[in-house]
Amino acid sequence: MTVRAAVCGAICVLTIALVSGQSAKPATLPDWSGAWTLDGPTVFDGSTVQPKNGRAGEPGVREFPPYNDEWEALYRKHVEMIKQGTLPDPVSFCGTPHGFPRLMNLPDVYEFAVTPEKVIILGENGPNILRIYTDGRKHPDAADLWPTYSGASVGHWEGDTLVFTTISLKGFSGKDVLVDRTGLILSDASRATTRMRKIDPMTLEAQMVIEDAKALKAPWRVTKRYRKQPAGTWAWDYACAENNRNPVSSTGKTLTLGPDGKPIDKVVD
Amino acid sequence: MKSTLMVVLLSVAGWAIASSPLRAHHSGAMFDREKVVELKATVKELQWSNPHIWIQVITQENGAPKEWSLEGGSPNTLSRQGWRSTTFKPGDEVTVRFNPMKDGTAAGAFVGAKLADGKTIGRWD
Repeated sequence: MTVRAAVCGAICVLTIALVSGQSAKPATLPDWSGAWTLDGPTVFDGSTVQPKNGRAGEPGVREFPPYNDEWEALYRKHVEMIKQGTLPDPVSFCGTPHGFPRLMNLPDVYEFAVTPEKVIILGENGPNILRIYTDGRKHPDAADLWPTYSGASVGHWEGDTLVFTTISLKGFSGKDVLVDRTGLILSDASRATTRMRKIDPMTLEAQMVIEDAKALKAPWRVTKRYRKQPAGTWAWDYACAENNRNPVSSTGKTLTLGPDGKPIDKVVD
Repeated sequence: MKSTLMVVLLSVAGWAIASSPLRAHHSGAMFDREKVVELKATVKELQWSNPHIWIQVITQENGAPKEWSLEGGSPNTLSRQGWRSTTFKPGDEVTVRFNPMKDGTAAGAFVGAKLADGKTIGRWD
């Protein structure tokens, strides 16, 4: 091979990468091994939560996504229902995944399986799984998609940063999917671009930009961080239906069952 | 028989709210996070299961046994905090603290416990 041919080849490779909008895969994939936990409580957007340090599910706690008037009204209704204890969390039924983007906001531990073809986010709680294909594929055509809890994610590497886009989400349709237990919701038009990287040896960061033509007036930027746990930390089986003593009544009230399996609440509905 | 129940009302609400280690898979609206109840009890059973562990304890109320259901976090997270499936054994004498149910039923969200040997688990300060 002549020097000229070699230079041309290198230019061609670079051109293809630039045209496709993707940089070359890193020579070595980043080390995201080990177990990780969400940094902070399970309020999705801690930067806007009121009252400050409020916890998801506590009465009066809310965040401030850039909702349009219609979805702001829906969210306010949920916040009021939380106060009354009548907004059930869909995951309390132990039958559905948390869905995206809530699966970036889970208690218990995470593991991140980084391979040349895909990255798999494993949430111990739920359990929840997000597959992010990095093998160069595109999202399926719209006709081949249907809304799901965790959607469809494809991504690529920009140096040590994983960039992925998630579409085809189920969203909130009167039930099914909350983004967190303040009653936060997104629609089935939502999509997110996430940039994920290690910002220091003990911290992974996910910067999400969420767009939603039905619910949001502007892109919503949310950053979540994850702290590495001690070496050798185990993740365990999580079977939500194993001993769920908090079913939901017909009016949406979360009940408490006694050891005999019968509600011990004084008022059931 | 004299009741062994002692109610502790903490004036610093923030302590009570921050005290529960429970990261529930469900709404916590049934619990009064402004209150912490302390009682001396005998362990009947530890249900070491997902999505939450439950500690069943017995107190004596005017000569009659009364069973309480105390809900904790997931065994997954608690095991990483030093709990084991044998942390509470049937017959153990314990002092437990919890956020009680708002409606007064005999249940609550576990906060902490002191075992007979003086060891503590959960939040105890």
